[in-house]
Amino acid sequence: MSAPFRTEEFLVNMGPHHPSTHGVCRFLLTMDGEVVVKAVPYIGYLHRALERICENRTYHQCLPVLDRFEYCTSMSCEYAFCLATEKLAGIQAPERAEYLRVIMLELNRIASHLIWYGTTSLDLGAVTPFLYGFREREDILDLFEMTCGQRLTYNYIRIGGVSRDIPPEFIPKLKEFIEKFPRKVDDYEKLLTENPIWIVRNKNVGILSKELALGYGVSGPALRASGVKFDLRRDDPYSLYDRFEFDIPTGTVGDCYDRYLVRMEEMRQSLRIVKQALEQLPAGDIKTKLPPNFKPPKGEVYSRIENSRGEMGIYIQSAGDSKKPLRVKMRGGSYNQLQVMPEIVKGGKIADLVAVMASMDIIMPEVDR
Amino acid sequence: MEIAGIFKYLYEKLASTGLSQAWVDIISYSVAALIVFGFLAVVALFLVWWERKISAHIQQRFGPMRTGWHGWLQTIVDMLKLIQKEDITPATADRPVFYWAPIVAFVAAFMAYVTIPFGAGLIVSDLNIGILYIIAITTFTIISLLMAGWGSNNKYALLGGMRSAAQVVSYEVPMVLAILSVVLFAGSLSMVQIVESQAKIYQWYIFRLPFGPIAFIIYLIAGTAESNRTPFDLPEAEQELVAGFNVEYSGMKFAMFFFAEFVNMFTIAAIGTTLFLGGWQGPWLPSWVWFMLKTLALVFVLMWFRWTFPRLRVDQLMEFSWKFLLPVSFANLIIAGWMKYSKWFNW
Amino acid sequence: MKKLLSAIKNLVVGLFTTGKHLGRHAVTVQYPTEKWTMPERSRGIVVLLSDKETGELNCTVCMLCMRACPTAAIDIQYDKDEKGKRILKDFVVDHGLCCFCGLCEEACNFAALKMATKYEFSTLNKEDLVWHTDKLQEVGRDVPYEKPERKKPEAKAAAKPAVKAEAPTEPPKDTATAETAVNPGKPSEELKPLTEENKENPGEGN
Repeated sequence: MSAPFRTEEFLVNMGPHHPSTHGVCRFLLTMDGEVVVKAVPYIGYLHRALERICENRTYHQCLPVLDRFEYCTSMSCEYAFCLATEKLAGIQAPERAEYLRVIMLELNRIASHLIWYGTTSLDLGAVTPFLYGFREREDILDLFEMTCGQRLTYNYIRIGGVSRDIPPEFIPKLKEFIEKFPRKVDDYEKLLTENPIWIVRNKNVGILSKELALGYGVSGPALRASGVKFDLRRDDPYSLYDRFEFDIPTGTVGDCYDRYLVRMEEMRQSLRIVKQALEQLPAGDIKTKLPPNFKPPKGEVYSRIENSRGEMGIYIQSAGDSKKPLRVKMRGGSYNQLQVMPEIVKGGKIADLVAVMASMDIIMPEVDR
Repeated sequence: MEIAGIFKYLYEKLASTGLSQAWVDIISYSVAALIVFGFLAVVALFLVWWERKISAHIQQRFGPMRTGWHGWLQTIVDMLKLIQKEDITPATADRPVFYWAPIVAFVAAFMAYVTIPFGAGLIVSDLNIGILYIIAITTFTIISLLMAGWGSNNKYALLGGMRSAAQVVSYEVPMVLAILSVVLFAGSLSMVQIVESQAKIYQWYIFRLPFGPIAFIIYLIAGTAESNRTPFDLPEAEQELVAGFNVEYSGMKFAMFFFAEFVNMFTIAAIGTTLFLGGWQGPWLPSWVWFMLKTLALVFVLMWFRWTFPRLRVDQLMEFSWKFLLPVSFANLIIAGWMKYSKWFNW
Repeated sequence: MKKLLSAIKNLVVGLFTTGKHLGRHAVTVQYPTEKWTMPERSRGIVVLLSDKETGELNCTVCMLCMRACPTAAIDIQYDKDEKGKRILKDFVVDHGLCCFCGLCEEACNFAALKMATKYEFSTLNKEDLVWHTDKLQEVGRDVPYEKPERKKPEAKAAAKPAVKAEAPTEPPKDTATAETAVNPGKPSEELKPLTEENKENPGEGN
């Protein structure tokens, strides 16, 4: 009897320039045919030393830099930084500003989830949902542009308030969006949710158990899909989130399909929050005035918010006598989600790796900073 | 409007010039091959444009708009661009294999058209084993994909080539079984006779309940897989294998693969029309118009699939073929055989 | 069997969803020939604004924009006349460095510069993105803007000597520090607000 059929493992470099690695993530895959034996993520291709850059800027000047931290949800990066600074300096933003912040944050969460929806479907081979997701995202970006002048790097939320009040045509357009968006989400769901191909590609693929998720510090929709009902908007309420009613969708298995369902539901919940915030929106001031050489007192602070990709935290240390922060540290949810991936893609196919990466919604600037 | 008569007239003219029969045949077949080639070139160019327009409209975009009316010259311009491009051969490639792969793909794609009846009398050669010939020839495509995958000396390309080999071989079986049920009914392998057996609309094989529609759907699914289109486009799954087997190809060689892909799609639709939708049969309009209409409608369905569905995973693809399609097509074949030999259904 | 039927049904539902969109109008525009109207607040390139009547620059060389810029894209060079008043020599904006945050526009109290809604300014040369006074002024000629009411000769005259008296020869960074060395936590009234718009439309659109 001859020796059994000999096979060899081989290495595949997936990325940093690969259509489905969402930017410049690189995986070194050890493959046995189509099966992934080992996956090692290599990070750092998008490292821009944002933390260090922030330390060389005044607090006001940090905000445009923060926009580049996680550019799918720039609003929440700005907000996390402003929240930290406000905590440090003991400033309270006016109520109208807080409401505007909530509206913008939730719209941005929807926009970010729409990017996720589009890229996920694209990664699994369906091209059309990608365009549909981006179509509605454009509407949201129009709203942002009309308010703050930019579509991606808003620089809208400022320390002590927001930069500008909403223009008069904002509210009718937002109402129109609120009116039509649920129908669009139904359309998205029709395309994928019950599609048998979509189900076989996602069900029981990349199962992230509760223990593993907690062990790796995974947060956000990925954690909730694993069955942990943890949402900072409810568990550590910041801004005005204790005033709104919303549900926190959770999954049971923690596979790609659960993560998909959780995110789809979150879009609806975010819209609910926007609706309530719009109804309650008071008149009034939008900004607490600060001196241009604003110096927070000596101290350190960590503030965290629920981003569309998990817990986004900003740690600031202030020397007290400087206009610039002494130390800034950023925490993004994507980093932990990337680190847990090798554990859950082991033994899957290369196509599963793509599905898991898509469902984790990793965005590289947040990982590399 | 029937153009078959023109060809017959020209053939008779040629025969009456006093040339020997061998020369007449050589000349007439060469001319026919050239005509078919030209026709398919135009069709492929049109399909590329059409696919882009359909995808654009499904996605609420415009698609190509700049070159000519709604960009109808776009593919021609693209082809000109691809011809000008540098033809890169990777340093470590297996040169002869790398070189011949697109040519094999190209030739295999066109050879199937020898026995496809475009209209009444419009067929290059009515072989008595027509459908068998087509099945044999279209399978050639796998060889070209394997060659491309192997010759590129690229891991992604190799994975793509292996996938396509596995995929086409597994989908060939249910496809042939679906075709066999039609052949069983028609009692002939000749394409012309298959078409002639469905003269009335209720005789089209797609309407012969219960086996017809099932065979048609199996054929359509397997055909989609054969022509490597979504949801079965694993050999070139962009998101997994970057571009799969043709990742190292550029310039004219890439254009040949691209061309072959669209010709293959048209082949699948043309065979589907011939076997299930009554071929050229239809009232009022000339036969070749009917053939084109039906074929393009099928092509549209294939495109519609592509722009709606996600992609299957490679093991699921195999499972679907061997565990679902194959048993169903066997059962369907048995039903077809029973129908053929029972008096009640045999209309 | 039931599963199979529901699978087929859902595939068909998906097909109809895309089919429904087939006949709809495109939502995109044909860019170079057909352009989006930019919202009024849209932040494009930085331009210098000139006075509508006299055609002179509004800039008073107060250097606030330069200090506000997080990427040091603005570089102002100036001379001093015999009274110590600054005279603009060159106003340089490196659009290659600019991050379009709009902080300079907000820092300006004299409507001297604005982020216009213009956006097509790509070049083949990196150097061509460095714009000097004349080009910035030329592009900004037709940009509409509102003059802040406070811009009066008296106010300017009153504001200027104060700065000069504090630190006439020192670099501008220190003058601002000296001018506004107050308790940082509290908002101070006499200081320049970061935004003009705050005042103009509070509660608008509610």
